[in-house]
Amino acid sequence: MSNNAKPATPSNPFDIFVIGARKGFQIAINNLMPNVLMAYVIAEILNLVGAMQFIGKIFAPMMGIFGLPGEAVTVLLTTWLSSSAGTGVAVSLIAKGVLNGTHASILIPALFLMGAQLQYMGRLLGVADTPKKYWPLLMLASIINACIAMIVMRFFV
Amino acid sequence: MAEEKNTQSASEWKAGPGAYVALIVAIVFFSGLLMKVDGMKWLSAFDFTTLGGTFGTMKEPAKNNFMGAGGISARAGFLFALSLAPSVMLALGFLEIFTHYGAIKAAHKLLTPLLKPLLGIPGLTGLALITDLQSTDAGAALTKELYDAKQITKKDLVVMSAWQYSGAGMISNYFSIGVALFTFLTVPVIIPLVLMFVLKFVGAIFVRIVLNTVYKGDFQDEQ
Repeated sequence: MSNNAKPATPSNPFDIFVIGARKGFQIAINNLMPNVLMAYVIAEILNLVGAMQFIGKIFAPMMGIFGLPGEAVTVLLTTWLSSSAGTGVAVSLIAKGVLNGTHASILIPALFLMGAQLQYMGRLLGVADTPKKYWPLLMLASIINACIAMIVMRFFV
Repeated sequence: MAEEKNTQSASEWKAGPGAYVALIVAIVFFSGLLMKVDGMKWLSAFDFTTLGGTFGTMKEPAKNNFMGAGGISARAGFLFALSLAPSVMLALGFLEIFTHYGAIKAAHKLLTPLLKPLLGIPGLTGLALITDLQSTDAGAALTKELYDAKQITKKDLVVMSAWQYSGAGMISNYFSIGVALFTFLTVPVIIPLVLMFVLKFVGAIFVRIVLNTVYKGDFQDEQ
């Protein structure tokens, strides 16, 4: 997307759309589908083992600050590893009726503000050569951002 | 994971105790023995057939789409992911067009004057930051180039990293992955996006303040 070399890109908007749509298909098939499938299966495992109800009870007071049920903590924990997986968990919890649209609206900015931090350590901080000493600080800033986002979203929903 | 280890050691003709555990787990997992154990329903969480789940059914044909209703686990997840493909393709198709006609360049122009007063970093970093909104990897590469060319100091680098790290690849990720949640949102789609953009600055300002206080000594030889 960023390397818009003039000769390679067609100037006709229909062709440009098709290039983007092709990228979208790749993302949907290679990123979304495996991650969403995994998230649905993990949610089902947690549900069958009974861990979901347990997690829900334990984290209810903490997540209550953000206007969310305790189970929502699973969304935040998974998103830290991968935003696609976190989104998948959120969707599967909505399908189960644990979360609703209001909860989804509160969660969505947090999903990306603290999303995929583990991958981005390599892809962003590693590539940019940011001194490792400050990595925990940057992580903390992201988590603070996510918390602020959830509190602010409460006023919009 | 366990399976991978298993094949690896098999290729070396050495099977440690872990390999046998993996094999037993694999056999039990696929065997169906755990599917219906009386009084211990939770054991089915380790059964292949159970985790395969079910597709939804057409409970109300007038309302249900191809996903049906009441699907669970892998099968339901697969159909749901498939249902997202059209909107992801549409979003990225239009994003490509807007980029082609210079939307990013205009955003760059608007962002640049904010950088010095808010984050204390030079205006020339704007391109790397704007690029990060679209592609994490490209943004990271541009940032490294700036530092290698000594156009920014180490402190600038950390502040820039903070801005990029929280919500990296924000626009692309929001419209390719977040789109899965759009239909459930009770607020306009733009509100979370604007909020994330503002918070990127908040996070970077927080990091800037910490660097200026707690880590003050680290940057004394600069400037």
